[in-house]
Amino acid sequence: MSATDSPARTATSSPPQTLRAGAERLCPAGLLALCAGAVAWLFIALLLGLIDSLKFHDPGFLAGSPYLSYGRVHAAQGTALLYGFAVPASLGVGLWLICRLGRTVLAGRFVVFLGALFWNFAVTVAVIANVCGGGRGYDYFDLTVHCAPLFFIAYLLIGVCGMLTFHQRQPGPLYPSQWFVLGSLFWFPWIFSTAAMLLLLMPARGTLQSAIHWWYVHNVDNVFLGFAGLASSFYFIPKLLGRPLHSRQLAALAFWTIALFGGWGGIPQGAPLPSWIISLGVIGTVLTAVPVLAIFTNFYRTTRGDLKRLDDNLTLRFSYIGLLFYFVAAAQQIVGVLPNVSAITALTWFGVAQKQLFHLGFFALTMFGALYYIIPRLLDVEETAWRPKLAKAHFYLTVIGIVISYLSLLVCGVGQGVLLVNPAHPFADVMRSTLAPLRVSTAGDLLVVVGTILFLLNFALLLTRACFKCWADCCVGKEKQPA
Amino acid sequence: MNSGATLFLGLFVSMACSFLAFVLGPQLQIGNLAQTDTVVTGDASPQTYPIGQPGDAHQGAEIYRANGCTACHTQMVRPWSLGPDIQHGWGVRRSVAEDYLFEQPVLLGTQRIGPDLANFGRRSDLNGILFRLYDPRLITPRSLMPSYRFLFEQHAIQGAASPDALVLPAQIAPPAGYEVLARPQARALAAYLLSLRQDVYLFEAPPPPAPKTNAVPAATNSTAK
Amino acid sequence: MSPDGAQKPVNQNGGEPSAGFSEIPLWLIMVFGGLFYWSQLYLDGHAGGFSPKVYAPYDSLDEVIAANPKGAGDEMRILGRSVFEKTCAACHQPGGTGKAGIAPPLAESEWVLAPGGDRIVRAVLNGLTGPINVKGQDWNLSMPPWRDNFSDKDIAAVLTYIRSSWGNKAAPIKPELVKAARAESHPGPETSEELLKIPVQ
Repeated sequence: MSATDSPARTATSSPPQTLRAGAERLCPAGLLALCAGAVAWLFIALLLGLIDSLKFHDPGFLAGSPYLSYGRVHAAQGTALLYGFAVPASLGVGLWLICRLGRTVLAGRFVVFLGALFWNFAVTVAVIANVCGGGRGYDYFDLTVHCAPLFFIAYLLIGVCGMLTFHQRQPGPLYPSQWFVLGSLFWFPWIFSTAAMLLLLMPARGTLQSAIHWWYVHNVDNVFLGFAGLASSFYFIPKLLGRPLHSRQLAALAFWTIALFGGWGGIPQGAPLPSWIISLGVIGTVLTAVPVLAIFTNFYRTTRGDLKRLDDNLTLRFSYIGLLFYFVAAAQQIVGVLPNVSAITALTWFGVAQKQLFHLGFFALTMFGALYYIIPRLLDVEETAWRPKLAKAHFYLTVIGIVISYLSLLVCGVGQGVLLVNPAHPFADVMRSTLAPLRVSTAGDLLVVVGTILFLLNFALLLTRACFKCWADCCVGKEKQPA
Repeated sequence: MNSGATLFLGLFVSMACSFLAFVLGPQLQIGNLAQTDTVVTGDASPQTYPIGQPGDAHQGAEIYRANGCTACHTQMVRPWSLGPDIQHGWGVRRSVAEDYLFEQPVLLGTQRIGPDLANFGRRSDLNGILFRLYDPRLITPRSLMPSYRFLFEQHAIQGAASPDALVLPAQIAPPAGYEVLARPQARALAAYLLSLRQDVYLFEAPPPPAPKTNAVPAATNSTAK
Repeated sequence: MSPDGAQKPVNQNGGEPSAGFSEIPLWLIMVFGGLFYWSQLYLDGHAGGFSPKVYAPYDSLDEVIAANPKGAGDEMRILGRSVFEKTCAACHQPGGTGKAGIAPPLAESEWVLAPGGDRIVRAVLNGLTGPINVKGQDWNLSMPPWRDNFSDKDIAAVLTYIRSSWGNKAAPIKPELVKAARAESHPGPETSEELLKIPVQ
């Protein structure tokens, strides 16, 4: 796949060497299927989110059909976002990083392709099940008992290939991104199988299910997606700036503290569980301040305030902003878990804002940055083949949309919480009064959807160009092949 | 940190710690909860609690889950020190693990776009629920809740009007000669919602002390949500 | 990887990024230490002793016991319940059902329900050994004495709890009764013949 790039190729202006070094003409189907599928599902998830958002402008919007009711669309949106977009994007970018940093080819290319197809099939089944009312009612784990094994098998197919690829790497010290990618590769099957066993197959008793569900969602976000996104940032930011990462030790501290404390949390204050479980969650979440500070220091020293390079490099821009949103989302999570704050903000739009910032602001933007770099290399075209105007519009629309949506949901959540503290305010009146910022967030959602459409357009044009080039080289221009 | 094996081992240990703290530990403590006695004062004898959902209510729970009601409603009352839930009349005490013994899946929810429903059975009745499902603005004029009219059916009156037909105000009443009846799903859902109450006291959830703020009285049937 | 990352040209690794070797700053280690210390204090204050019965806002089992309603006999029942669940339930089972080869049942047991409670007070204080017939079944096990582990109030409380749970309906036991029974010295465990000699009221 990507490893057919010659090692001397850099991200700077030197013209590419032979784009196909070697006789193999490797079709990058596996990673491409993962990445393309991921973006397509992101679009679907954003669309579903927009539909849900529009229902706050008129509760009667699409309320006539059970399939498009708020609850079912919400469930489908969660499934599409996490399992349709986030996991495959992590896998696609992660496997590419393993190949690149290990200076090797992807092992089992066909198996990865098969795994990607099977995963997309599983997501389709899960989303349709959600729309038909089959979910279990667990946020971000709304899977039927039949879908879970499908996901697990597809993941195994891809993950094992990733492990084999890592195993056949060139000897040498590991770069931090490789730790992070391995971390995410290992973490998902462990938490997913635990959740599937104890929530779907052999359900635990009573609120133990809720504890396990919250633990799973927190692990998926903080550890799995956190590792995947940070792997990309740790790779692209130093590389594209042309500077080394400031400190390997700080990266190691961040890695191990996320692994140790990142999964301790997610249980809201006041949940019907003994207080020790909730307290462990609180301390775990507060201790995640350590990796956040470590990552901040690391990148601050690496970039040393050099923002000039942002203008010419799309990947760098997305990665920077993604990292910025990561810090904001992490800070909000830490603040929100303290009992005094949580008494006001728990179970309001405050938590939704944080999750949205994390998923879209940090993870999606970081993945977009990675994809802008990776996809041309998978398709064997120039990075400049992206249409610059479309890419710029995508960037601005998405970032502005995310900021608008986040800030309005934050205001909405805090307002809702503060008003509810006074028992003299009836609940319905409080919700009515918070409609204004909620409706503003729809504008933000719309901008993000439009931005993603532009990206898909850009991607389609790139794909067309790549196919044309491939056809031209293979069938027409054999004699014109460079040496 | 340069060996895959070290990484794997370290990650496995981290995962094991997290698993022990949040999955195995709670399983050992509350994974085998059984019915318990309520706490009462004076000479009253304790009751067994909880007593599981009667048949219709169990089906109603399935409908609640299938329609994604957990997307907007929670079913957990927070203690008075951690939120205004009790002051809003959503419960007489906080929710504890024992309350959800027979729920499968546990429909706690994660966000309140609508009020908490843990004690909804205490403050509503069958007709109130059916009207609210048909058009929430009949009960709470400023409600954001969507209508669930697909849980009802409208058909021509044959002979005499059915005694169970909904009596709707003029602007949303069916045309003359037609009546609106709740489907079995709506009735099951109503049975489930009416079964939601957590108003007995337990050892771990004794009667809370009176909140220090000026609390409104516990909410009655319809408006103060 | 170069030890001095700052000046190395970027193409050293064939275009791939490298990581420098800068130590973790001291302030971060101090923040980590401080947060860790805070977290232990937080657990100390809010984890309720890791008890499954302690829910916020209570911070310890004692607070839960104190918050429970105090009616006639209720305080004793609640205390007795916690004693039972900590100690007796291990053998007699949480529902008082008993288990073959481990302990006889307490639910609807004629020994428990006998008026006055003198027999079971002595069984708990001094232990019980040898054959005994409970609810028509013969048991021959050994129960340790508990006079040194529990106060009069604790023993009275746990017997009050047992005598009013699982279908049992008998009067509470007073600590004075336990105190009087404790005063009679009894060298070894009771046997069922000795207990049967004690009159019931």
